[in-house]
Amino acid sequence: MGMDALARELKRGSTELLILSLLEERERHGYDLARLIGDRSRGVISFHVASLYPTLYRLEEKQLIEGRWVEKAGQRRRRYYRLTAAGRKTLKSQRTTWQNFFEGLNRVARITTA
Amino acid sequence: MDWKTKIASALARDGRTADDDVIEELAHHARAMYDAARADGASGDEAEARVCEQIERWRRDVGRLRRTARRPAAIEPPPASQSSTAGFVQDLRYAFRLLRRQPRFTTLASVTMALGIAATTLLFSVTYGVLIKPLPWPAGDRLVVLKETRGGKPPRFNAFSNAAYLAWRDQAATIDGIAAWSQQTVTLSGQGEPERLRITAATASLFTVLDARPLVGAVFTQADEVASRGNVVVLSEGLWRERFGADPAALGRAAHFDGQPYTIVGVLPDRLAYPDERSRAFVPFHVPPISGNSLSMFNAIAKLRSGVSASQAAAEATGRGRFVADTGMTTMAIFGSTGAVAISATPLKDALTSDVRQPLIVLFAAVGLLLITAAGNVAGLQLARAASRRREIAIRAALGAGSARVVRELLAESVVLGSIGAASGLVLAWLLHRLVPVLLPADFPRVGDLHLDATVIAFSIVVSGVVTIVFGLIPAWRGRRIDLVSSLAEDGNAPAGGGARSRVGRTRLAIMTGQVAIACVLLVGASLLGRSFVALLTADRGYDPSGVLTARLSMPDSLFKPERRYEIAQALLERLSAMPRVSDAAFTSELPLTAGGSTAGLTLRTSSGPIFVQASPRVVSPRVFAALGMRVIAGRGFSADDTQSAAPVAVVNRAFATRYLQGAAVGVKIPMGLGYQDAGVEAEIVGVVDDVRYLASNDATHPEIYYSYQQLRGRLTVPVVTLLVRAQGDPATLAGALRAAVRDADGTLVSEAVMTLEDRVLLGLARPRLYMVLLGGFAAFAIVIAGVGLFAVVSYAVAGRSRELAVRTALGAQASNIVGLVVRQGLTVALSGIVVGLVAAMVLTRSMATFLYGVTPYDAVTFVSVPLALLVVTAIACFVPARRATRLDPLRVLRSS
Repeated sequence: MGMDALARELKRGSTELLILSLLEERERHGYDLARLIGDRSRGVISFHVASLYPTLYRLEEKQLIEGRWVEKAGQRRRRYYRLTAAGRKTLKSQRTTWQNFFEGLNRVARITTA
Repeated sequence: MDWKTKIASALARDGRTADDDVIEELAHHARAMYDAARADGASGDEAEARVCEQIERWRRDVGRLRRTARRPAAIEPPPASQSSTAGFVQDLRYAFRLLRRQPRFTTLASVTMALGIAATTLLFSVTYGVLIKPLPWPAGDRLVVLKETRGGKPPRFNAFSNAAYLAWRDQAATIDGIAAWSQQTVTLSGQGEPERLRITAATASLFTVLDARPLVGAVFTQADEVASRGNVVVLSEGLWRERFGADPAALGRAAHFDGQPYTIVGVLPDRLAYPDERSRAFVPFHVPPISGNSLSMFNAIAKLRSGVSASQAAAEATGRGRFVADTGMTTMAIFGSTGAVAISATPLKDALTSDVRQPLIVLFAAVGLLLITAAGNVAGLQLARAASRRREIAIRAALGAGSARVVRELLAESVVLGSIGAASGLVLAWLLHRLVPVLLPADFPRVGDLHLDATVIAFSIVVSGVVTIVFGLIPAWRGRRIDLVSSLAEDGNAPAGGGARSRVGRTRLAIMTGQVAIACVLLVGASLLGRSFVALLTADRGYDPSGVLTARLSMPDSLFKPERRYEIAQALLERLSAMPRVSDAAFTSELPLTAGGSTAGLTLRTSSGPIFVQASPRVVSPRVFAALGMRVIAGRGFSADDTQSAAPVAVVNRAFATRYLQGAAVGVKIPMGLGYQDAGVEAEIVGVVDDVRYLASNDATHPEIYYSYQQLRGRLTVPVVTLLVRAQGDPATLAGALRAAVRDADGTLVSEAVMTLEDRVLLGLARPRLYMVLLGGFAAFAIVIAGVGLFAVVSYAVAGRSRELAVRTALGAQASNIVGLVVRQGLTVALSGIVVGLVAAMVLTRSMATFLYGVTPYDAVTFVSVPLALLVVTAIACFVPARRATRLDPLRVLRSS
């Protein structure tokens, strides 16, 4: 695997993890997710909003999240996403995987996770 | 800024495009981003530039901005099979999966069924256990209860005399045995806390008549009936376990009843206890020979010879009874007549259950109606689904499914629903069944025979099966044939069968009408019982039960001398009267609302010569009429001055005055303290009190004579008295003080049945209350089902007619017109249901006449208020769909279709 491919895979994997963990708290719409990822990663994770929606649609297709239109009085309808039971499970196992990955890296390469 | 158009045109630049809702979602993002930038202080142009940059990135990625529409996975129909039964199993599985996808419908339908089945199972268990199940004794169907009358009059207490018993016992040809018994309450002491027990005193023949064999040891024999051999006792299994730890070594030891030792000879299984399981022990009873004028009264049962009917036995007993010795005045005292002896024999089961037979049958019929309405509800829901599944069924038919195939499939759904309902209903019944002994009044017959046994479960399963299939066939049969072309041509969403025009719709309306009718019948029944109960509660019984605390005090002859009793009573009255909040403290030898009691015959000297009278004598303390709130209607009540040194006085009740003295009782002389002592002394009647009734104001009254205990030479001859304390505020709060006063008066005394007089009345009303609560519950359930059903039918009709209603609104129809249209349909169903229900109720409530009090089965208030109540329910059920109909936006409705 070349460096580019690794970076792409890492980024792709981490985007999913980020989205799933943000939806774990409560249901959110796309803009909200984009803003929170930017805020919480303190700009470290370069995240393209362009790839947000394809990721959301992919997660939805995999039935890890579920989107629905919500109409509130006096507002245009917005699409909200929430975690499904399967999504919750995936999030849990992804967390463990990442944890193990970081621990492994740390043991070998002495990288300290923040 | 119209971001949506902007994004759409940007994405379309490369000739590609995205779904509408993707564009809408991105537009929302763009809008939020723009607003955020402006809030950060960016100028309008800067903000727009940032957003456009973002749109540009989306455009580059447009290929991935695709949402795959997810459809619910289609359910695979079961493959056609050779065997028809295998096919049905597959249908069941298919039905099960379909129902699982509609959890709300499935829950609603099966909960209704479960409640219906549980109620039916419970009521069947009670009806079967009480009325049908064989009695626990081996020859239970040959047991008869004997009753004696003289000149057609029953005795004032108990049922059978020693005269009739002895005349028949030794030469009976129609019976295999006869037994005498009576119930007593005694204090068991010696093993742990003293305890009041109900015991049966019976001749040894009781055990042979019942074929009751002991669990341990032996039963007593005829030789034990004579007390000279020393007292013996047969314990009930329950008492043996509780007080003797089920120890076989208890045999031969002594149990102390009222301080007397009784040698334990055996233990009888609880289920064989007579007259019921509340009898905790059995002691020998000796039927005394006739001597002089005395009569001994008790209860009697006999075992018929096989092949002999109850009436043949009665005829023989009556025949032999003609030769009984004349006991003149005693006979008059007890029977109120010295006429000819007549004996009746009633099968034991009938005698035990005669009071509850009619109510149980009525309640069982009511629960049957309830089950029908619950099943009708499931059928109605199924019909609604069948209507909305017309396309599916049409497609099946188009693919070659015959109508039998379609029926089978729809039936499979009903069977699955019915089974879920029946299974949960049985579980619910099983859970509730443990509460039955608690819920039933303590004096309800055969409570010990109620079990959720195989018969009950089998009944429940068969009934649920029949109901499921019958009510499953209605929607299946209605749904089987469908006009293919029109069904397939319709757009899939338009509900068909919502109106009354289609066959399915008509069936639904018919079911609804039936449900309203059943709710109406049950509501009429519940209302009659409710009004009857209120009438019983507020009946004028001749005394005022509010604000009075009562307690029974038992001072058996074996432990208390009459002089000691007098001292205790006097001390207690002084102490109780001095308590704060107490306005009157008194006691009486017999409480007004205890049926039965002692009776005496006496000769009354009147101006027209001596007359022979029968009356119940009562020994009371002076304040008794005030404490009970009884009305003195002539003369005066007792005063504290009516003591031994004053002239002897008596008070009689209205029944005595009118029956024997044409109402003019005051001033007449009667024997003093009859039955107690001083038979030679005469007392003057100084007052008349109003009659006191047992429960209802139309209960029979008996002549009564009251004597003041202060005029009986310092001796209290009655072993049991009831204390009465009238107080301000809640009398129940005085219970502790009353118990303490009794304990202080004599350390060995226990106050029993400490309760308010109102609670005693309620205890007597436990059965009518139970019937009312049950039928009321059924009615409430039926109304909810009918209300929900109406709501569904009307909502459905509104949905089906939305296009029509929208056109009407567009053409200027007012909200009131629309509401009128919608409500009319609900009202039509409700009104026809009410009419049918009222007619049915008129016929059915006649069977309730025997246990109604103060209302007729055709009670006008009930027959007016029930329809009104149902109309209110209808209005509520129609309100929501009607309001929805007025809020339809004609533009939207018409555009969407």
